[in-house]
Amino acid sequence: MTKLDTWRVGILFSTSGVTSIIEKSQLNGALLAIDEINSAGGVRGRTIEPVAYDPGSVVKRYGELAERLIVDDKINVIFGCYMSSTRKEVLPIVERRNALFFYPTLYEGFEYSSNVMYGGATPNQNSVPLANYLMETFGKRIYFVGSDYIYPRESNRVMRNVIRQGGGEVVGEEYVPLTAGVARFKSVISNIQKVKPDAIFSTVVGQGCINFYSAYHKAGGRGIECPIASLTTNEGEIAEIGAEASVGHITAAPYFRSIDSEANRKFLDSYRNKFGTISDVTSCCEASYCQMHMFARALSECGELDTDALRDALLGMTFQAPQGEIKIDPDNNHTYLQSRIAIVDENGEFDIKNMVRHMIKPDPYLVYPEIDDWSLRTLEIAERHRSG
Amino acid sequence: MSDFINNLRDLNVGVMHPRDKTADALLRQIHRIGCGFESIWPIPSMLPENIDILFVDVDETSPLEIKPILSKHKGELPAIVAMIEYENPSVLEGLFEIKANAVITKPVRAAGVMSSILMARQFWSEQRRFDKEISKIRARLDNLQKLNDAKFILMRHHGIDDKDAYAIIRKQAMAKRVTTVEIAQSIINADGILRDFGKG
Repeated sequence: MTKLDTWRVGILFSTSGVTSIIEKSQLNGALLAIDEINSAGGVRGRTIEPVAYDPGSVVKRYGELAERLIVDDKINVIFGCYMSSTRKEVLPIVERRNALFFYPTLYEGFEYSSNVMYGGATPNQNSVPLANYLMETFGKRIYFVGSDYIYPRESNRVMRNVIRQGGGEVVGEEYVPLTAGVARFKSVISNIQKVKPDAIFSTVVGQGCINFYSAYHKAGGRGIECPIASLTTNEGEIAEIGAEASVGHITAAPYFRSIDSEANRKFLDSYRNKFGTISDVTSCCEASYCQMHMFARALSECGELDTDALRDALLGMTFQAPQGEIKIDPDNNHTYLQSRIAIVDENGEFDIKNMVRHMIKPDPYLVYPEIDDWSLRTLEIAERHRSG
Repeated sequence: MSDFINNLRDLNVGVMHPRDKTADALLRQIHRIGCGFESIWPIPSMLPENIDILFVDVDETSPLEIKPILSKHKGELPAIVAMIEYENPSVLEGLFEIKANAVITKPVRAAGVMSSILMARQFWSEQRRFDKEISKIRARLDNLQKLNDAKFILMRHHGIDDKDAYAIIRKQAMAKRVTTVEIAQSIINADGILRDFGKG
């Protein structure tokens, strides 16, 4: 098959460097979707061909490689990026070249570009449910630890607002470099143990996250007594940290691998068939998988890789995702998502405790979320059928 | 977090720009940000009420139309964000004519709209604070001048010193339950009348 006979799409996820664990899972999600689409006959009889580069978790490389995909490879649909700083590198390039960029990652909001489809959660979709859950279940004194970049700082700003509204208190706030090792976390943890918070809210990402949880466990920190709660720690990191050190810790996300539903079983079976294991399936992986499928459906509608035509087809599109129903919000190119809260059990699996009943509208420009917003209340999931 | 950012969604934003792609992109972004918004076009004879921020299309002629509306507006003027396509001197002069607080360039990009709203609002409110402060200081300066004049009159007529002159004014003010400035004013008035009277 010659190049002309395929639909070529660019992929920019790092398979090396500090954020490679999570980005590999996003890459797999995209590749799995491509496989499914192609084995079902492709789009209008042509298969999708991924052209993937590894930016090596180096921020500048994302921009350079996006430029290469568009200019040298003549590709105008790109999937990629985890950290906000890397998205900010790609953004001006896709805008200038009028390419379409799919970003399957939760982020801090306050952005809109007609050239970007945002597939991950904005703070309003997860922070409020998580803050409510922590304060109701564990107490009102929360300690913040984050990696030092834009997402943790903005995410903490939102969290601080929500916690204060609920009568809670932020009893500590620390930022560590992205490359922080176990030694760096020792001092953070000794501060935490001095202050004795009711829960820790962590926005430490990548390898740092694994180092943090491991160091916390080593220093005697236990999830059941004082959990680390996060919006970003998911199955990939938990697998690396190990069940023993991660039990009791909490994550809020639209998707968990443990969702008990027909759609999710199908997704996981398909993933296992392709990659041999489902140990690295995460919410960002699922988002990436969904975005690729939605892209393919839009492509089959308009039959060309034209940014404007694809955008028109994508806006307002709904999709039966492994997490449940999702929808691209035509107001802001972000995605209506489900919201769940899960606790790591003794097997290292997320046990879903609570969920919001309907998909939540993304509100990327929300400065000040309301803790009492009824639409963000989570409902406890009955023990017997803890499904999605 | 500054109040300007926290209270962003309470603002009402007006867009005075022809209904085209530019206006559409801007209105959509304002909607995403979450402010109240309305399109104001064609240019009306009066500015609608309750607009906090006004985006205005500024070219080399439009300030001629816009200035009169702004100047006859009753009540507080909104903060003004100019939308410009060219940066030549005649367009830039227009920015000063309509006293713009912030500027965005066309075509409008989503990024930048929020900052321009915030900057305009902040400059606008600083300006208002300064205006209030200045009129307060001016009034205080006037009063001080009056008191001094009155004191000098008393000193001249009665051969007393500055301190005694002030004590007299203060005593009178307390007895008549008026301010010292009012007493000072009547002393100045009386002095004027008596002086003219003496001249015949």
